[in-house]
Amino acid sequence: MIKRPGGELASRPLHFIWIADSSGSMEQDGKIQSLNTAIREAVPHMKKVAEDNPNAQVLVRAVKFSNGAQWHISQPTPVADFGWTDLVAEGETDMGKGLELVAEQLKMPPMSDRALPPVLVLVSDGQPTDDFDAGLKALMDQPWGKKAVRIAISIGRDVDDEVLQKFIGNSELKPLAANSPEALVRHIKWASTAVLKSASSPAAGAEVPAGMDTANVPIPTAAPAPAGAATTAGTPNTAAPTGTPAGTQDPNDQNTIDDVW
Amino acid sequence: MESSNQIEWRVIGETVPGASHIRAGIPNQDSILCVRESSRSLPIIVSVADGHGSAKCFRSDFGSQFAVKKAAQIVGEFLDERRGKFDLAEIESVGKDYLPKEFVKKWRKTAEYHLKNNPFTEDEFKKLEEKSGANSRKLIEENPLLAYGTTSLTVAMEDDFILYMQLGDGDILNVLGAGEVTKPLPEDARLLANETTSLCLPKAEEDFRFLVQKISAEASPQMILLSTDGYLNSFSDEAGFFQAATDILQMLRTENGFNDVNDNLKAWLEEATQMGSGDDCAVAIIYRPDAVKKFEKFEQSEKLKTTTTETPPSKETSQAIAALTDSETVAPEDLEDVTVTITIKKDKNKISKSSSVALAETDSASSKLKNSPENKTEEKEETPAS
Repeated sequence: MIKRPGGELASRPLHFIWIADSSGSMEQDGKIQSLNTAIREAVPHMKKVAEDNPNAQVLVRAVKFSNGAQWHISQPTPVADFGWTDLVAEGETDMGKGLELVAEQLKMPPMSDRALPPVLVLVSDGQPTDDFDAGLKALMDQPWGKKAVRIAISIGRDVDDEVLQKFIGNSELKPLAANSPEALVRHIKWASTAVLKSASSPAAGAEVPAGMDTANVPIPTAAPAPAGAATTAGTPNTAAPTGTPAGTQDPNDQNTIDDVW
Repeated sequence: MESSNQIEWRVIGETVPGASHIRAGIPNQDSILCVRESSRSLPIIVSVADGHGSAKCFRSDFGSQFAVKKAAQIVGEFLDERRGKFDLAEIESVGKDYLPKEFVKKWRKTAEYHLKNNPFTEDEFKKLEEKSGANSRKLIEENPLLAYGTTSLTVAMEDDFILYMQLGDGDILNVLGAGEVTKPLPEDARLLANETTSLCLPKAEEDFRFLVQKISAEASPQMILLSTDGYLNSFSDEAGFFQAATDILQMLRTENGFNDVNDNLKAWLEEATQMGSGDDCAVAIIYRPDAVKKFEKFEQSEKLKTTTTETPPSKETSQAIAALTDSETVAPEDLEDVTVTITIKKDKNKISKSSSVALAETDSASSKLKNSPENKTEEKEETPAS
């Protein structure tokens, strides 16, 4: 066959960004250690999901926010090479600054038109101590910020769910409540696998008529069920209890016995 | 000097299902169609369309087929009515307003006719709700044409002008003689982050980009490439995509260029979708063999001229140089062969089942489109097997 015309071929980049709370309160009751463990354990599952769709190149990085915000892992790292570096908890909860950092990176450039919608996973145990609305506005001012799949996980009972709901921006999708290390592991794994799988599916890269209220990425309806529980993966229910993706069972129901946060 | 009415064009086209679509069992939602009234004359109308991959656009493979047929029909009729009295200013001003409106109207009518004869099934809604949630059914019931959503890119070649009409994403590239790649239509700032304007949207006729470009000896493209966005998105950057256009023109300039490109295009697109976007790809190439041949001869003559600075040419070579460097003295070489155009359908089953390549070349094919009163013949063909 004659040599193929054109430049280098490449799968479409899918940016997956952890936005992690590393404020001082995360030190209490081992929350920061639990978060580190949960993400570390999720990484192999992410790699497996990424292998299933060779047309998406999953690139992972992480922002941490406490007193201000910094890139914890700054380089978009191919998931095959990704390893988690433990967060250390201290300081305030400058969530808005964290969103501003992400917003900067979702501009075009450095983002390209051919990217798949990014996945942003916000994890926090408290209420913002800075201008959250300004950070959210900066994020939503970017086309890729608006089109991103935005997931929020609350740790413990001191979180302002309204803030996390504003970040999600979709009334059908609620923050995932993690009141125990086990629940946190489940939710992190769900965001890392089910959501990632959906975000790298053909539908995620598919064109959507402009201006219509249609999400590019169908959020999976499977709840992050606890180990041993009967799952209803892919089976939409009629109810949409707080703390779950719309139409799923409530993972919080499974937390009542082992609540520690 | 060549007069404009001597320009001949050839067309090559292909579409392949996306690699990720194959893995997911999703049909090819791209379509491509080339229509000309005879194998010799203009106009040539080439149209490609990209049915949206969103789960809500679950009949977009039909939508894109309707789009290429209706675009070719409407543009063909428009040009027919103005044959022999072309006024480019009129074409531009009237066409810009009339063609999008008429096209959208006809596309909607065709999709509505299809829907009337093939109402949405519970199975379709069940799959939709599984993929997109319960609210998606309501969305479709409120705007049924969303299920058929598609883009549309059309180019019509006439004696002395080229008409471009585009709605939504995808690319039309012009490649000039020196290999320079340009986009004849302006960018649409609304086409961001997988969002696209679409035939299924209200007021779609207002979202078209439209241009009538006069063909001149100095500035007319040697090749025009139309593609759906699955091809562009398979390259790591836009420069790589532009390079594909210039590489293809370069190949067409070789002795067996037409056959090489025509024989390999499908494999190139398959490789692109496998290694790249995973999306369906459709590409149509329109090019001028006469210009290509002249360029080839020019290149050869330059080569020979260079050689002569080192070694005096033989008598035969001198004669060849004389012939090649003066196009006025060279008889058009085998124009009979050169002008036998148009691409070639390779897999008819593919047309009816999933992908939709169709190249109509004959009078009958064209008149069939024109004479279908309310497209009843077409709708019968387009009705899916139930």
